[in-house]
Amino acid sequence: MSSFLTSSFMHNIFGGLAQGVIFSLVALSLVIIWQSTHVLNFAQGAMAMFATYVGLTEIGRGVGYWWCVLISVVVGMVLGGATERVLIRPLYGKPEINPIVVMVGFLAVLEAVATSIWTSTARTIAAPFSQIYFQSHGKLVLLSPFVIFQIVLAIGIMLLVAALFRFTKLGLQLRASALAPEVARLLGVRVNRMLTIGWMLSAGVGAIAAVILASGSFGLFPTDMDGVFVAGFIAAAVGGLESPIGAIAGGLLIGLAEQFILAYWSPNVAPLGGVIILVVALMIRPQGIFTKSVGRRV
Amino acid sequence: MTWPGSFRRQETTHVRLLTVLGLTVLTLVVTFFLPPVADSQLAGGAAITIVILGLSWLIGWSGQISLGNSGFMAVGAYAAGIWAHHHTASPLIFTFLLATVVGGISGLIVAIPSTRLRGPYLAGMTLAFAAAITPLAQNFTSVTGGEGGLFFNTLTTPAWFLHFFSGANASINANAQWTADLAVVIAGFMFFLMANLFHSRSGRAMRLVRDNDVAAELMGINLSRTRTLAFVVAAAFAGLGGSLFAIINATVRPESFPLTLSITLLTLMVLGGIGTLSGAVIGGIIYSFSANLVSHVNSLTGVNPTSNLGANMQGIIFGVLLILTMLFAPRGIAGLIQRIRSFIYSRS
Repeated sequence: MSSFLTSSFMHNIFGGLAQGVIFSLVALSLVIIWQSTHVLNFAQGAMAMFATYVGLTEIGRGVGYWWCVLISVVVGMVLGGATERVLIRPLYGKPEINPIVVMVGFLAVLEAVATSIWTSTARTIAAPFSQIYFQSHGKLVLLSPFVIFQIVLAIGIMLLVAALFRFTKLGLQLRASALAPEVARLLGVRVNRMLTIGWMLSAGVGAIAAVILASGSFGLFPTDMDGVFVAGFIAAAVGGLESPIGAIAGGLLIGLAEQFILAYWSPNVAPLGGVIILVVALMIRPQGIFTKSVGRRV
Repeated sequence: MTWPGSFRRQETTHVRLLTVLGLTVLTLVVTFFLPPVADSQLAGGAAITIVILGLSWLIGWSGQISLGNSGFMAVGAYAAGIWAHHHTASPLIFTFLLATVVGGISGLIVAIPSTRLRGPYLAGMTLAFAAAITPLAQNFTSVTGGEGGLFFNTLTTPAWFLHFFSGANASINANAQWTADLAVVIAGFMFFLMANLFHSRSGRAMRLVRDNDVAAELMGINLSRTRTLAFVVAAAFAGLGGSLFAIINATVRPESFPLTLSITLLTLMVLGGIGTLSGAVIGGIIYSFSANLVSHVNSLTGVNPTSNLGANMQGIIFGVLLILTMLFAPRGIAGLIQRIRSFIYSRS
């Protein structure tokens, strides 16, 4: 058993899972926005990055780690809500290219502003968990307290979001506004407010992903989330953009696949692996692996 | 937003040919009076114009959103670069043809899974393609030169052209102007091709597929073939633009084709006007002189251009312009000009 844990296969499993939960969180955040407003938020990664940088600045003033996480999430939520109000709301009912273009523009602005304030070098937040790997009989197991924390935190957030949607009144209202806005409005749900809350929730979940990335040994730099966003999008699309479970499973799948390609071939080919998974998945089931079949005209 | 180009008075090919010829010759004359720096900038802008023409056709005319055209540019640039690196004596026109064809093939490969997708899915899928293509260039170092890239010097100013120049910097001026002229002529030629394509049978079919796919299918138009064609054409244009870009700079490197290039292309296209020919040219001109624009804004606002903010000013300006254009003038500069023109004509 102990030799199994230290095998290179298990190294890759652990590495892939650690990376995969980050993708899962981003994918989940994309699904929340997609469900509520049918917008694919191309600035999702950049918004999370920006919020985390604000938290990072606070830690420089002697604030503790958990406060920093909290600040990042709150800033992320405010940013998400404001984005929906200011940039997205005027575009409801417009062609689907309009919100895409606007969010791409927002992505460019956020990254340029972040680079001009905080420079392009990577920054880290020291998490209160050791990054030193465990050992078993003198050999490394590619798990550290930090990696376990990372996975537990991600799963905790996912369960929290699931519980919010399933068991609370707010969750019911959110689902109702996504499914049938008109009916929801007639039944007294403030649909517009729900859309804003959906964006806030999503941005908060995204911020957690960036915080985890910043807490790791490589840190976070302003364009770091570009690649994470692409992987997160692939994960969400493999799951069908509609299904939170699909997004989470997709994230883990992409994380593991990229880790194995990286280990057995080359890190430069890993992004292509994600694209190929997406292509294959879409060819088998264009509507996503985890969604119920919905026909589209033509 | 109503899509542009829904109706338009029918121009003949002759009129289009004459217009393009006139504009190209005018630009060639202008390059003679521009300083060498501006000539080089104009050459880059001409290459970008070709890419935007393709993007405008893909997004504006066929309604398929692509964020991956920097990837197609990279494919074309590497095809040209690898060829030119090994065959320095090969005629330039062959290099460009090769890049166009290879670019088109890459478009076909991306199109096969993509034409079944819509809107945001397609945008994300093409973005993922663009994100995957430059690391690939870093991987196959023996072919692509890896991180450092490839160098080649195939752009030689012909002797007869040098005769027009005299004085201290004759050869520098001549080289810069030859580069600009070559790029402008190619861009003019591609503009003419695209103008014809816009008004061809395929172009009209494309618009119908965009506006109403059910009606298009009832008319006997093959939807997936039409959508694939749009991708192949856009990718071929991007491939040519990318190769021109590489030949002008005499080098091709992975870092020349970052994801931000896709954003820049989108910004320029939207600023110029989605789905319009003139918009692509406007976008190319803005690209040419964006550095001047940025330094002007820096000096207006008193920002130190070597500071962090000054260095990132272009991203901020482009991003803000993209957002504002989409929110308040979604048809871009070309749309504004059209509105002013129809306003004037309705008065007279």
